[in-house]
Amino acid sequence: MAKEIRQIAIYGKGGIGKSTTTQNLTAGLVERGNKVMVVGCDPKADSTRLLLGGLAQRTVLDTLRESGEDIELEDILKEGYGGTRCVESGGPEPGVGCAGRGIITSIGLLERLGAYTDDLDYVFYDVLGDVVCGGFAMPIREGKAKEIYIVASGEMMALYAANNISKGIARYAKQGGVRLGGIICNSRNVDRERELVAAFAKELGTQLIHFVPRDNEVQRAEIHKKTVIDHKPDAKQADEYRELAKKIEENTQFVIPKPLSQERLEEILFEYGLFDSIKESNYHI
Amino acid sequence: MAETKTKSGTIVHPHYGCTVGAAYTVAAIKGGVPIANCGPGCMYKQFFLISFDNGFQGSAGAGGGNVPSANVGENDIVFGGAQKLDDLIKSSLAVLKGDLYVVLTGCSGELIGDDVESVVRKYQEQGFPIVHAETGGFKGTNITGHEIVVESIIDQYVGDYDGEKEQGLVNLWFDVPYFHQNWRGDYLEIVRILKASGLKVNVLFGPQSGGAKEWKNIPKAQFNLVISPWVGVKTAKLLERKYGQPYLHIPEIPIGEEATTAFIRKVVEFAGINKRKSEAFIKEESQLYYYFLEHFAEFFSEYWFGLPSQFAVIGDSAYTLAYTKFLASQIGMIPVKQIITDNPPPRYREKIAEYFHNIAEDVSVEPEFLEDGYLVEESLRTVDFGSGVPLILGTTWESDVAAEKGGLLIEVGPPTTEEVTINKTYIGYRGAFTLLERIYSAAVGGK
Repeated sequence: MAKEIRQIAIYGKGGIGKSTTTQNLTAGLVERGNKVMVVGCDPKADSTRLLLGGLAQRTVLDTLRESGEDIELEDILKEGYGGTRCVESGGPEPGVGCAGRGIITSIGLLERLGAYTDDLDYVFYDVLGDVVCGGFAMPIREGKAKEIYIVASGEMMALYAANNISKGIARYAKQGGVRLGGIICNSRNVDRERELVAAFAKELGTQLIHFVPRDNEVQRAEIHKKTVIDHKPDAKQADEYRELAKKIEENTQFVIPKPLSQERLEEILFEYGLFDSIKESNYHI
Repeated sequence: MAETKTKSGTIVHPHYGCTVGAAYTVAAIKGGVPIANCGPGCMYKQFFLISFDNGFQGSAGAGGGNVPSANVGENDIVFGGAQKLDDLIKSSLAVLKGDLYVVLTGCSGELIGDDVESVVRKYQEQGFPIVHAETGGFKGTNITGHEIVVESIIDQYVGDYDGEKEQGLVNLWFDVPYFHQNWRGDYLEIVRILKASGLKVNVLFGPQSGGAKEWKNIPKAQFNLVISPWVGVKTAKLLERKYGQPYLHIPEIPIGEEATTAFIRKVVEFAGINKRKSEAFIKEESQLYYYFLEHFAEFFSEYWFGLPSQFAVIGDSAYTLAYTKFLASQIGMIPVKQIITDNPPPRYREKIAEYFHNIAEDVSVEPEFLEDGYLVEESLRTVDFGSGVPLILGTTWESDVAAEKGGLLIEVGPPTTEEVTINKTYIGYRGAFTLLERIYSAAVGGK
């Protein structure tokens, strides 16, 4: 009997580091002997750059647009670091068409072409920004990802977005089996960040699964179009991603989140002094 | 208060098309070419309900089953449909001769926010007579679409005007073309009446209209005449704001001598024109009318078997009101069930119900507002038509329940699959007798 593939969707505010985290985490899981597929669900199509060593991927939608329906799996699926399978959904030009529908179309196509093979241990969906419409919720609908991790930081807007995403998860959790596995803090070095995100996670009913410290090693690896584990395996930051991979592999805490009210969210932000420190550090939002 | 049943959310048998069905409003303008920017199948559905299976009305040129359509597919939704629409407009302008092109955008383009305006503007700037209408099907019925299309043409094609008004010229806002299977004949009769009463008419739709050019004359009219309980009032208000034109709203389509004469006097009074012509016309038409009525009276009083005495009407607000009023007040039939299926906006419903409350001297009816054909059937089933033959003015959807009740069904609204319409009218002075002929021919066994 075929084992169940762990399908995981990664959400979070735009620019928070979802793609970076997903790919570095993927490298960690590959090191642990897992077979992983990463599906980029962002029209920018930059979710697999570090695994492929560059933007070498023709997106599903570009292929569909140029070649029509007659597509083979190898046209849209490339092998990257450690045998990871990489797919980029892609999307329309900014400002036209419907990117949400694009995601539905490309995930549908992946299924029809048989991309979800039994040898896979993990499938990651790296979804852009917020769950703005039905299309961006496609990866967490029935039969797809059952696990979600939200990438956040101690910045206010990141937590607003995480809270909003939780509302979407709560809605879909009622209809299907989707659950929140935790918050991954991608540190921005703001004051009392770990405590704030941990408190926020607790309030949501979930956990801060890992605190990834800020480290320029990540940027250096990115310049070389690589994950940290690939670029500098002995770096301290590489161990952070290995630790994240281990925690996700061993995670058993899957919940239906309880989104916070606007008032409560702001209370927590006050409690951890974020508003004060904004003034003090002359931080601009 | 009018009874409003809770909607079930589903409609088993539709009595109207969707917003994009207003393509047939465009087709009804001489030289009008609808260009449908919607999915494959949309126009097909609209064509069958509004035109073909609605008295087999027929069309010539663009319209009917020949509406150009973008047939929006998945790629157009993901990547945007502007390019495909642009190609379609280019081809339509090349292939279909027309005086006014109207792009109607359906659900898909409206949902993804295709910038249709900028596609169409390019052609407008090149001097093509083309406008676009935001007619996403989710906005409502084909009547909603009719108003959207009319207003889009006024805003984008007719444009601003601050010249002189022409005394005695009236813009006619009447039947929703095609939706009312007899619309061509109805326009003919109303226009005949208005012209004979001394008015000049911007007919706008159908055989006597002056086509797109005539639409340009809309701002010159002295006033707007709206004949419907609610359709067209919004348009008249727009014209009042835009061109400073007053409007006369007559909710009841006149049928028979009494109603038509009253109608003429109301219009002439509002227009402030000399009454000599209209009164002479009334006299002449009345003499004819009563000549025929007198002769019909012999049959009416002598034929004893199987004539209907109680009746139901299932139709849109305008015709349900008009038929009910004529049959109740002039023929003495008893209205037992009047069901309005065109989903009039809530703010008009109380008014519409009020017209029915005062339908004739000593006769009051409570209309029902139902959109779902299933609920219509359920409602009709409960009606007690007494000992006479039940008479049902309705649509093909009501044929089963009419048969169950052993009644006479006269199809007067969409869908109508047992009538072929060329030039027929049941309104005004002349149409009234056609309606009586139709009803009583059915009653004496002529089906």
